Amino acid sequence: MTDQPTQMSPVKLGLAVAWPAFWTGMPIKIVLALLLLAMGQHPWEFPGLAFLLLLSIPIDIWAVGLSGRTVFLDRLGVEPPASLGLTLWWQGAALYATYGSLACFLERQTITGSQAVVAKILDLELLKAIPIAERISIELTAWGSVSAVVLLALTLGGLFLFGKLVQRQANTASPASAPYEARVHQWDLMRVPADQPLMLTVFTATGVALVLLLWAFMPVTTPHPHESYKQDERKTAPVLKPADALHKAERVLTQAEASVQALEAKAKKSKGKAAAPDKKAAAKPKKA
Amino acid sequence: MGSQPNLLEKVIAFVDERVGLKTLQAKMLNEPVPGGSRWAYIFGSVLLFIFIMQAVTGILLMFYYVPSADHAYASTQYIIHEVDYGWFLLSYHFWGSSAMVIMVFAHMSQVFLWGAYKKPREMIWLVGLALFGIVMGFGFTGYLLPWDQRAYWATTVGVEIMDKTPIVGDFMARFLKGGATPGQMTLSRFFVIHVMILPAALMGLAGLHIFLFRKAGPAGPFRGTPDELKAKTDYFFPRQIWKDMVAMGTVFATICSLAFIEPVVLLEEATPDPGEYHPEPEWYFLFLFQLLRLKIFAGEFGQFLGAIAIPGVFMALLAALPFIDRSPERNIFKRPVALIGWIVVMATILIFTVSAIINREFLD
Repeated sequence: MTDQPTQMSPVKLGLAVAWPAFWTGMPIKIVLALLLLAMGQHPWEFPGLAFLLLLSIPIDIWAVGLSGRTVFLDRLGVEPPASLGLTLWWQGAALYATYGSLACFLERQTITGSQAVVAKILDLELLKAIPIAERISIELTAWGSVSAVVLLALTLGGLFLFGKLVQRQANTASPASAPYEARVHQWDLMRVPADQPLMLTVFTATGVALVLLLWAFMPVTTPHPHESYKQDERKTAPVLKPADALHKAERVLTQAEASVQALEAKAKKSKGKAAAPDKKAAAKPKKA
Repeated sequence: MGSQPNLLEKVIAFVDERVGLKTLQAKMLNEPVPGGSRWAYIFGSVLLFIFIMQAVTGILLMFYYVPSADHAYASTQYIIHEVDYGWFLLSYHFWGSSAMVIMVFAHMSQVFLWGAYKKPREMIWLVGLALFGIVMGFGFTGYLLPWDQRAYWATTVGVEIMDKTPIVGDFMARFLKGGATPGQMTLSRFFVIHVMILPAALMGLAGLHIFLFRKAGPAGPFRGTPDELKAKTDYFFPRQIWKDMVAMGTVFATICSLAFIEPVVLLEEATPDPGEYHPEPEWYFLFLFQLLRLKIFAGEFGQFLGAIAIPGVFMALLAALPFIDRSPERNIFKRPVALIGWIVVMATILIFTVSAIINREFLD
């Protein structure tokens, strides 16, 4: 029913921890990436990428710990040591930084090299008559197969090394005392809390909150306008502030009243002058 | 004496007395899952979720979309540029259709590799194949609706391929096009098929699929001793529902991210002159399109062979699979022909899809 840590192959052990850990952390990282996108930050450009990588650290520690504890209890029948997640995470991170970089370099070299070799072979006079569609598929199959085999070997190598790290932790752990059914229950409860309706409610509430956040951050109009699409240039009406409008009207009325009064005063004055006409003006003849 | 029931409890009791709500709930949630919940079982639920989201976004888009050759392009541009969040809804609907195709492939692969099509689940497999056809039909008919060059020419290519089918091909092509070249009749017919016929067919068949699944029960894992399976056997609620919900959330977030990264941007309005544009179908038909470019599929007979005969024989083989493969062995590692067959089909689809993408450079 359970494998001894020393009996299980390191590749199998590495895969048993790394594969579920990857999928455990993935949903949370996708949600974070989506929120970054909604805020106009690309998760693979500098500020967004740094933010996502930083947040990924606790997520990965938790995910590796969760899947590690499950494998220790269910598959190996040993008690998982305390801080298993943290230990496996930093050792895995160091492995990824060294072996991962080397593997990426080797894979890139393999792709470039195999593409060049395949292109040379197909440039031979004998093979020049091959039509373009066939040539593309042959080239892709040839260099793709070589690259896939190298990638598979490198992945297995990575899993072997990671499995060795897991094995080292498992060898020092004490055997689990509880019977198999009890251990199944124990690791199952690690994934799903005892109060399941509460868990589902919290999950749904978190989902709703995240959706609301997404709609709040999301641009209302497209961030990718079509070059030939002319948007309507609608003139928006100025915002009406009732108090300001009333004050403005009041001011205009006061000014108007003052102007009317001034005009009336002027009219009265000129009437008075008209009642006592200037003798010179009266003597002057009007122009036709 | 216990406390008096509140109003909500009274309403639930009223409905329960008349429709058997609690029995239905127990039947829905207390389905035993042999060997316990698994991430491999999420695909069916996720497909249902994607379909519901496609229906919701599709209905919202229909508030603004005008299915006429004169206005389809302009109304789609209006959705993208003027309607609040319209660009996001359209892009979600677009990427949701691709997600549905991927999920159908994943679901079918899981059922195939787990040997879950075998007796007594042959009917579930057959109805599932019909649902696969409907999903492909959704993609094909929906692609024309924006009425840009991409839509117009993908449809032209698709209808021409359909035309090569013996006996019914000519009728099908004429019926779909409704004229010599794609026009108003084509758009109307594709629209009706997309928003009326296919959703109704999908809802009916999905209901039948779920009914048959519940009738036969989950197949469970293909490995493990009876004792191990018994120890891990669980009910559908809550662990499988939890996994389904996490998967749905992940798929939703992925589709939303794709809508942000690569939103729908229309090409020029559809015209019967392709101009600079090189016609090609949607990405999930690209492998078939590239296959037809091979010399062995040149000429009238070759095109028939590549476009109709080989895919037709393949689909017929898939339909006959539960009746050909009668061995009760479900472990995929003890079914080498099935495993190799699956790898070959997947590798062929992958190689020819990527080849079609590389081929674009030579056309440009």
